[in-house]
Amino acid sequence: MRPEHWIYTVPLRLRSLFRRHQADQELDQELRYHIEEKTAQNIAKGMSPQEARRAALLEMGGIEKRKEECRDTRKVNWLRDLLQDLRYGLRMLRKSPGFTAVAVLTLALGIGANTAIFSVVNAVLLKPLPYPGANRVVMVFLHDSSLQVRGNLGGADFLALEEQQQSFESVAAYSSSDGFTLTGDGEPEEIPGGKVTAHFFAVLGVKPMLGRTFSLGEDRVGQPLTVVVSYKFWREHLRSAPQAIGRSITINQENFVVIGVMPATFRFGDQSTDQLWPIMQMQTPHQRPPYFLAVFGRLKPGVSLAMASTDATRIAQSVTRQYPLSAVANATVVPMKEIVVGNSRVSLLTLLGAVGLVLLIAVVNVANLQMSRATARQKEIAIRSALGAGRLRLVRQLLTESFLLGAIGGALGLALAYEGVRAITILGAEIIPRIDEVAVDSHVLAFTVAAALLSSILFGLAPASRVRASRLDESLKESGRGGGEGSRSRVLHNALVVVEFSLATVLLIGAGLLIGSLARLEAVSPGFQPEHILTMQVALPPVHYMQANLTTAFYRQLLEKIQAMPGVQSAAVGMSLPPNLLEIENPFHVEGQSYLPGKSTTLAEEIPISEGYFRTLGVPLIAGRFFTNEDSAPGHHSLVINQTMADRYFGGDAVGKRVQTGDADPKSTWETIVGVVGNVKYEGLNEKDQPTMYVPYYSDGWAPWFVRSMFVIVRTPADPRNITASVRSAISSLDSTVPLARIRTMDELLSESVTSPRFATILLGGFAALALVLGAIGIYGVMSYAVAQRTHEIGVRLALGAQRSNVLRMVLGSGAKLAFVGIAIGIGASLAFTRFLSTLLFGVSPTDPLIFSGVAIVLTLVALLACYIPARRAMRVDPMVALRYE
Amino acid sequence: MSKPSDLVQGTLDMLLLKILALEPLNGFAVSERLKQISGDVLQVSDGSLYPALHKLEQEGWISAEWKTTDNNRRAKFYSLTRLGRRHLEKESENWSRLSTAISRVVKLKEA
Repeated sequence: MRPEHWIYTVPLRLRSLFRRHQADQELDQELRYHIEEKTAQNIAKGMSPQEARRAALLEMGGIEKRKEECRDTRKVNWLRDLLQDLRYGLRMLRKSPGFTAVAVLTLALGIGANTAIFSVVNAVLLKPLPYPGANRVVMVFLHDSSLQVRGNLGGADFLALEEQQQSFESVAAYSSSDGFTLTGDGEPEEIPGGKVTAHFFAVLGVKPMLGRTFSLGEDRVGQPLTVVVSYKFWREHLRSAPQAIGRSITINQENFVVIGVMPATFRFGDQSTDQLWPIMQMQTPHQRPPYFLAVFGRLKPGVSLAMASTDATRIAQSVTRQYPLSAVANATVVPMKEIVVGNSRVSLLTLLGAVGLVLLIAVVNVANLQMSRATARQKEIAIRSALGAGRLRLVRQLLTESFLLGAIGGALGLALAYEGVRAITILGAEIIPRIDEVAVDSHVLAFTVAAALLSSILFGLAPASRVRASRLDESLKESGRGGGEGSRSRVLHNALVVVEFSLATVLLIGAGLLIGSLARLEAVSPGFQPEHILTMQVALPPVHYMQANLTTAFYRQLLEKIQAMPGVQSAAVGMSLPPNLLEIENPFHVEGQSYLPGKSTTLAEEIPISEGYFRTLGVPLIAGRFFTNEDSAPGHHSLVINQTMADRYFGGDAVGKRVQTGDADPKSTWETIVGVVGNVKYEGLNEKDQPTMYVPYYSDGWAPWFVRSMFVIVRTPADPRNITASVRSAISSLDSTVPLARIRTMDELLSESVTSPRFATILLGGFAALALVLGAIGIYGVMSYAVAQRTHEIGVRLALGAQRSNVLRMVLGSGAKLAFVGIAIGIGASLAFTRFLSTLLFGVSPTDPLIFSGVAIVLTLVALLACYIPARRAMRVDPMVALRYE
Repeated sequence: MSKPSDLVQGTLDMLLLKILALEPLNGFAVSERLKQISGDVLQVSDGSLYPALHKLEQEGWISAEWKTTDNNRRAKFYSLTRLGRRHLEKESENWSRLSTAISRVVKLKEA
């Protein structure tokens, strides 16, 4: 049993055990008393003590057997009582269909929403990753002691780790790729996947369904190229043939032999979409960067994270000694699950908290309804108690009714939750990690049952506490005046409304803060003109574009073709794309500032671009000039930087100054700053502006492995989607094996970059709206009831000359008072707790007075509106009728 | 002295209730009182007594309390509840109606 369940069941079990033990003891004592008396009687009749005792025991029969029979009567009665209570409860619920419908619906909404959100929390945060012993799987990162930034490893670091590590059973590296181009099977197709080293599947602990995974040493240069494929790939591209093992497929113009197929349940990669895992063959590099490897390891038993981190740091430091120009010095080891789900934890827990509040509000509503009903049934209760039903029996019967409501509401809620989970898995597909694992499983069902039970107890207690086995005559006397238990029950009603409103206030404030953040985020200027731009990603297969001149020729020709097309204003390529598709950062060093080789100074975003880039995006020029074709010629080393970099490192006057990029090395080339442009967001709309440097994407002889993959941007005066087809054909006319990916307009990219906060905001907003509706219903119900109860009193007032408007004001006033108290409490709670939301907020303080006051006003208005109808009803009371009800 | 008759369960319940209606007693005392009042005609076996008493307690017709007896021992005393009193009234009515009917049949003069 999971530890969480223990907490609920252990006290319950202990108690019944204890009581049973006590009852047993009593039974035993009772029977023994009888035996003793019988024995004494027998002795008095003249038997000897042993005979007397034996005769008494004989007559009783077996003591244990008698005890068993006594115990059995208890059991049979208990079951019979329960069935009776259930039948009675059902009948009562059917007699007031209105109440039952409202209560069931309210509960269903509350429980259903909770179940749906819990399904997500369960799959993402609670369940371990779907690998055997997943809590031993960790990731290794490097970080620079002065920069505090956690980053991937480079080839040199990984090879050193593999060789020298002592903390892991095995380690492996994964190089993510934007996709592998599969050719030779119809149209060229982009297949998601990543290159891996030989121990990759061993680290994860998953065995292949067919064939084998990599063997030791297959990841060394010179070995044959092998690939492991996913079940989906095997089904779609290898026709699920068992003989697929040993066949060759062509990826990025290279042949890989398929050696294994993973089971259908295996998942890895961003959004778990990876289909191909080709072997990655590495040799010791000449320099430490680039840092492109995600490194995984399986901890040896008994090794802690701290021990592994120390081990990895030691190795990182030895690598630093081998490559003295690099600066990285420390390593850290983090559980893999933390990396996968860590970012979503705050949002998910916030949603769970919010939906829990909604359930509480629903429970309060039903409690109020129940209480009103219980008071109305006071006569019935009185009669039943006069017939001998004890208080305990009555309470038990009321609770059974509550459990019935809870069960029906819970079942309906579960049905709603199924639909809700389906919607969430569709809408949240790109946002929620491990989304494919989200389902209504046994844990979620247990949660639903617990929620229904707990709710039933909570809203069942309120009316049950007011049950008194009162005398029949007492209650008949009271019922003339509209009955009711008087002020005490009214206080409870009012208290519940106050609780409802405070909960609703907290929810609405939370939603308001998120909505405000979203609005601010969407209003952020990205730094350029996003309308009318088409973007796409082009990835040149390395095999055919090994040299720089091939790559640059392709892009130059492509840009010429595109710019020649009608309807195109300008076109360009760039390695990174706003608002959040940054590819690389590089350290840099400013001329004239001192440094030590091996210690890096600062990082800037670095973006290789073509000369039309700024024009196509619409980035403003601040000083100097844009790139021209000249800047790409040999011998030129030009750089354009952004405003932030110019201000921070050059006091605003940067044109003409010189900078070295890359690891600090006195021998590296000096680049001259020729222009300063406006800031552009590359790391998300919510990030602060970072220093950015732009370089021409080609210079003589320089085509690092990554420049083959570029974003193409095209500006057109009309709808950018109109030119998609022509751009496509331009690319395929140059090289038909080059695939396109991620074709979007810039507006779409901007919108997509806020999908995650938008999703959370919509959900939270939905819950807040639900809470608002429930709160309105709650206060309406309580006010109506209060007015009905006080009809007599209102009649008296009217008869004594009070104005009808006074009555209206009285009712509205009492409703408003309740709302105010609730809102005040809610605001107090929010002030204390919204700080936990600050990671989700952008441009909005957790105690933003505008939002707080806005919510207070809205809730007050809603309360007044909800009280209006009962207030009008109070106003229209006919004093003659009211007084007659004596 | 005639043989003690076997008692049907429902009748036993009624008798036990009636005895407890007179005063609260513990189990042993109830069975003694029954023997005494009926002149030893009606006896309840020790084996059936306690299950019957417990069933009556479950129904809510009698309630129990642990008290100290005269000779300073602790015993479980049963007493009739309000509900039990009403049930007893009803059952007694039924019983007298039944026995009247039976005796009317039995007393019929043979022709």
